[in-house]
This record gives sequence, C-alpha cells and structure tokens, in this order.
Amino acid sequence: MTDKNPLSPHIQIYNWHISSLISICHRITGIINIIIISLVCFWVAFLLLGNSSYEFIQNFFESYFGKFFILGTVWSFLFQILSEVRHIFWDLGFGFELKTSNITGLIVIFGSVVLTVIIFILGRNLL
Amino acid sequence: MVQINLPQGSKVQKGKFYKDKTGSKNIRKVNIYRWDPSTGENPRIDTYEVDMDNCPSKVLDLLNKIKNEIDPSISYRRSCAHGVCGSCAMNMDGKNGLACTKPHKEIKGDINIYPLPHLKVQKDLIGDLSTLYRQYSSVEPWLKNSKKDDGKENIQTIKDRSKLDGLYECIMCACCSTACPSYWWNGDKYLGPAVLLQAYRWIVDSRDEEREERLKKVADELKLYRCHTIMNCTNACPKGLNPAKAIAEIKKMLVTS
Repeated sequence: MTDKNPLSPHIQIYNWHISSLISICHRITGIINIIIISLVCFWVAFLLLGNSSYEFIQNFFESYFGKFFILGTVWSFLFQILSEVRHIFWDLGFGFELKTSNITGLIVIFGSVVLTVIIFILGRNLL
Repeated sequence: MVQINLPQGSKVQKGKFYKDKTGSKNIRKVNIYRWDPSTGENPRIDTYEVDMDNCPSKVLDLLNKIKNEIDPSISYRRSCAHGVCGSCAMNMDGKNGLACTKPHKEIKGDINIYPLPHLKVQKDLIGDLSTLYRQYSSVEPWLKNSKKDDGKENIQTIKDRSKLDGLYECIMCACCSTACPSYWWNGDKYLGPAVLLQAYRWIVDSRDEEREERLKKVADELKLYRCHTIMNCTNACPKGLNPAKAIAEIKKMLVTS
C-alpha cells in the first residue's frame, strides 16, 4: 500500500467496552502509583529533616487538596490491586468468557470505589 | 507506536448528502466512510437517507440497497451473505462485525459504517489486509506430520478433537485483530488475535508433531506478549470465539512446558 492510501479511523470511532476501559485505567493507575510511591519515599526522607518539614507535609495532608490526594491514592492502589487479581486469574486461564470478564470488570470498578469509601470511614473513625 | 490522531491525509471530512426520493415515512440516516483513490481527496462521510420499509434486516442488505438504488459508486466486499466467508467485516456503530449477520435494528440512532479500523484503505469500506495475511502464513497454518500417507485416516481421540472446538470455526474475517489497540499500535510486529488463535489451533492439534517449534517461534516479546488482555477481540468476534483465551493458553503453555 502506498502512503497515499488513508488510514481508516480507529480509536476515534471504536466503542469503549468495560474491559478496554479497565485496561487503560490499569496502565494509568500503574504509572500514578509509581509516582506516588516515590512521593512516599520523599515523605519519609522529610521526617529526617526535622520538625518544620514534618509540619509542611502535615499541613498539606490537612488541606482539601491533600485529602483529595490521599483518597485518590487509596483508590488508585485499590483499583490496581483488584485489577491485578483479575489478571492473575486470567493468567491461570480462568474468567475469559465475555460474561465473566464483564462481571469481574464491574467488580473492579465498583469494588475499588466501595473499598475507598470504607477505608475513608474507618480511617476517619466515622463509625 | 501509539499515534492517537489520524495522519493529515486520512482526516475525515463531511461528504455529500443523499436526500430520500421515495417519500417514505420510515427513514433512517446512514453515514458511510468514503474514499476514492482516483481523486486524491481526503476521505469523507457520505450521508444517505434510506427507506426502511423496503429494506431487509441486515446491515449488508442496507448497503446493497444503497448501492442498487441510491449510489452505485460505493464499494465494499461481500460474498456469502450468511456469516461464513468473512468478506463483509466492517466497523458498524463503533464495533467490528460482519455486515451480513448484524441486524440494523440493533443499532440505535444514525447508522455509522466505517472500514475495519487502522488499515490502509483501498477504496471506501475496503481495507488492506495483506499484512495480516503475511503474518498468517508466518505461523505455517498447516499440519506438520512425518507420517507417510498410507491412505488411512489420521485418527484423533474425541478428547483431542474437542480441543479444536472454538478454534477451527475462525473464518479469518479480521474483526478481532482490527479491534485490538495493541494491534493498531504494533500491527507490523505483534501477530494479533486472529493469527495467534490460528497459531494456537495448530499448537494444540494432537496430530501435529512440531508443537515445540511452533511454541518457540511464537514466544516473542512483540509477536505474542503485546497482548495485554484488553479483550476487544473477544468482544468483536462475530462467530463467538475467544481469541483472548487462546492467547492466554499459549502463554500458559510457554510457562508450564
């Protein structure tokens, strides 16, 4: 085929399925988690620098953005973990039927949100 | 490589509008991807108003009706018209499938018809599948057996034969491969679900004697492991097969053998 022939539209027109949505989210949360783990390392290193730097981090976590950041982190890790469990079952050869994979996919999406809320409630001692 | 945007010459423009001339009350709009190699213009989307009162049930019937009654210049592949040959594979309503088995009633709103995704277009709805065919021949899809032909049957147990169920039915329509984002970005190196399903079909055949060589050949970072279980292939397969599972079985065989 020559360069003159156009390329047919792909991602622009293709429908999203539950499975493809989770696949891309799995990648994105994977990258985010690496960044977050690096940040946690910096956090631990900050403790060595004494009182003022500890307070700086503490103030950040007390702010609205800090809270959002923590909740986002919790969700991102939970999503990655649940999705990874799904991948382990796939690697063992289970769960490839369309119906099963759609159900496990929904479990990953809703499970990660529900668990985030539960962790938030437990962590804040709201019960 | 991942390239989200279409190249400049592939950008889709608004095309012609064919107004209904029958005066029918039951009208549906059909948007079809058009590209004419003789003009050198960019691809365009033509819109047709079709009288649905006199149109049989499948998307292929709809295309035939447009070609026969409205615009004879439109091109697409078709042959058997009942889901056996795989010629009329195309993207309908954002999902790959066979036009001859897809009822247009299942599509809500306007009917959008595109060629199979991420292929070089030859004309209108006809994509170039030569890369896929070359990859297919690279897995050597035939029986390799040193037994001399003595005119007798090559017997297989019922259990061994049942391993081929869900594999031999593949009609190589390319719906799965062209639905796979990994195949879009790495189609020149990654074999894609259709070809890997075929590779697996020969790997598990109990009569084939070159299982080890076949496995070794396919065990490659790019050829096989670009599959990230996105499952678009299984979602797209018009024959209800499961290429994602076949690929997983190959991966499993590679770590257990």
